[in-house]
Amino acid sequence: MKTLLNIDDGKKVKILKISGGKTVRQHLQCLGIHIGDIVILKKGSFLGGPVLLEVNGYDVALGRGVASKIEVEEVE
Amino acid sequence: MKIAFIGQPNAGKSTLFNGLAGYKTITANFPGQTVHYTISKVKVGEDIFEIVDLPGIYSLTAIDKAEFEARKYILSGQADVVINVIDASTLSRSLELTLQLTELQVPMVICLNMIDEARRKGLKIDTEKLSQIFGVPVIETIANKGIGIDKIFVSAKEVYQKKLIPKIQFFHRDIEERIEEIERTIPKNFFKNLPRRYIAVKLLEGDEELFEGVKSYSEILKKINHIREEIKITHGRDTDMVISSERHALTMNIFEEVTKIGEPLKTLREKVDDILTNRYLGYPLLFSIIFGIFFLVFEVGKIVEKPIVSLFELAIEKLPSIIKEGSLGFFLIKGLLEGFSGGMGVAIPYLIPFFIGLTILEDIGYLPRMAFLMDTVMHRIGLHGKSILPFVVSYGCNVAGVMATRILESQRDRFITAALSVFVPCAARTSVIFGIVGAFIGGTAVAAVYIFNILIIMLLGAILTKFAPEVTPGLIMEIPPLRAPTLKNVYMKTWLRLKDFITVAWPLLVVSSITLSLLEYLKVDIFLNKFLSPIVSLLLGLPEQVGITLLFGILRKELSMIMLFQAMHTTDLSAVMSNIQLIVFTVFTVFYMPCVGTIGALIKECGIKKMLIITVITLLVALILAFVSKIFLSFFI
Repeated sequence: MKTLLNIDDGKKVKILKISGGKTVRQHLQCLGIHIGDIVILKKGSFLGGPVLLEVNGYDVALGRGVASKIEVEEVE
Repeated sequence: MKIAFIGQPNAGKSTLFNGLAGYKTITANFPGQTVHYTISKVKVGEDIFEIVDLPGIYSLTAIDKAEFEARKYILSGQADVVINVIDASTLSRSLELTLQLTELQVPMVICLNMIDEARRKGLKIDTEKLSQIFGVPVIETIANKGIGIDKIFVSAKEVYQKKLIPKIQFFHRDIEERIEEIERTIPKNFFKNLPRRYIAVKLLEGDEELFEGVKSYSEILKKINHIREEIKITHGRDTDMVISSERHALTMNIFEEVTKIGEPLKTLREKVDDILTNRYLGYPLLFSIIFGIFFLVFEVGKIVEKPIVSLFELAIEKLPSIIKEGSLGFFLIKGLLEGFSGGMGVAIPYLIPFFIGLTILEDIGYLPRMAFLMDTVMHRIGLHGKSILPFVVSYGCNVAGVMATRILESQRDRFITAALSVFVPCAARTSVIFGIVGAFIGGTAVAAVYIFNILIIMLLGAILTKFAPEVTPGLIMEIPPLRAPTLKNVYMKTWLRLKDFITVAWPLLVVSSITLSLLEYLKVDIFLNKFLSPIVSLLLGLPEQVGITLLFGILRKELSMIMLFQAMHTTDLSAVMSNIQLIVFTVFTVFYMPCVGTIGALIKECGIKKMLIITVITLLVALILAFVSKIFLSFFI
């Protein structure tokens, strides 16, 4: 299963599963990240750093820990 | 009429508020900048509007403390009209909050702010249609340019008079039936100022506050839990997730109905942004930007400081020829002059360029990018990228820094960040570092003090994490687009921050300076110094007169330097103290005890017990570091 950490920069992905507690899930929902949504991975994690996602036209940074909990598949 | 500005973080509520109320609150291009609310009365024609600027909230499910405060205000039912401020470029997400606000059944205006930003991203929004869907007026604004903000009061008055309550957008039928069922179950007097439907939906979502309230009705609690279980079985997911996806589906439907998406404009801005957060170039840029600001602050400050200070010195030298030396009047006037000189000559020349630099960084939106870059480093000390904001703000003022910890989600993160923030040299301590180490030893020594300070903070962070292991999942943060700062905002914000110093800190400086003069006249200072001398002289190897200056430093950190000039009876410290003593004094002043203002902020944010823990830690750290510096430096100098 691929997570946001195994995707190349610039790829479009669909979010399949968000593991982790309710708080993380709710927080992600607040920023417009839901299961089934399609997002673009703008910048992958580098040296344990965060990833940068583009969600419906705006950018969201997710720490490595959070990114590893989000399972995705590449689309297109 | 009370108007509350409600919207998601960084939607521009404070900018709108400032546009309407005159400059009253600090804005920045950072989600969660406003941590407490500001109220202002505005008179338009015959009408008096009371407007409230609330911290941004992503939803009515409060995640961090600032959100909780905002939610509490909204639910208290004090607002007559709600202005739902939306960053039009993030409409798809922002509408989720709008949907929740409709459930509160308060007259509402939807304000699509940053409409220029949305156009740039290729979003075309049909405001007419959006207005039809919710049954309330929709207005377009560009707050930072002042465009469209005049429409706010007009619309607010209209919805208030016509009682234009937003239309509720319904979920799927099966869920709606469940909601009705709960609405019928809950007793009439239960949270009676909240709409029934809102309570029912929140109970389905498992809202902690409402569940606490329903606990005493065991029958009802049982029924609600039963309904939640049933939904879980039929939908295969927890009810909070079911409601959330219902809301998401509704939002996306509305979003698709009212917007047309065209080609976004790719501009220079995107290219710059790409370089700022580039994995290789980002860090050297970060370093040069921070170093550049400190360099400028130092250079500009030095040029201004010299003539002002020498002017006051001249006046003090001339003093004995006007008034008899040693008389009460002489001491009082000397204290007054020294207090003024301290504020005007030492603090302000460094504060102004520093505030300008900080404001520009904030308004451009560089701070979230810093958080992005620093996330890895912050994990090393058991925190994540967002904690960088309280740290950066602390370089201006620890009080603001400690308050900024509200943007963090967990109590543990807030405590550790607050504890570390108070070690960050604020503007006051910056003036001590520049005024003592900078003026008498040199620029390299100043840089060394800062780097030493950062290393110690990181070390402390690593130690504190050992006691409270990291449990937070990490960074989840929006990175807003870069924006060009406006001259007006930079000017107003610098002035607002400076005003704080002039009206609060400076009088305190002058009064304390006079008090010290008086103590000297009454010879009480000798007694206090004797009392402190075991620590000051024996342990730290400083002159005995320094003792009392450290006591004053608890009021305001720069006081210890001003008092030091006075206690040593000269502004040329290098004549009476060795370089080691100057460094030991500075190190101690930088690290020991938060000032009274910060102590107050710590009590408010963390409670008395944690404030005491933090204070004890700072004292211990300061003593150890000052002592070690004394021993260590004596080998080299």
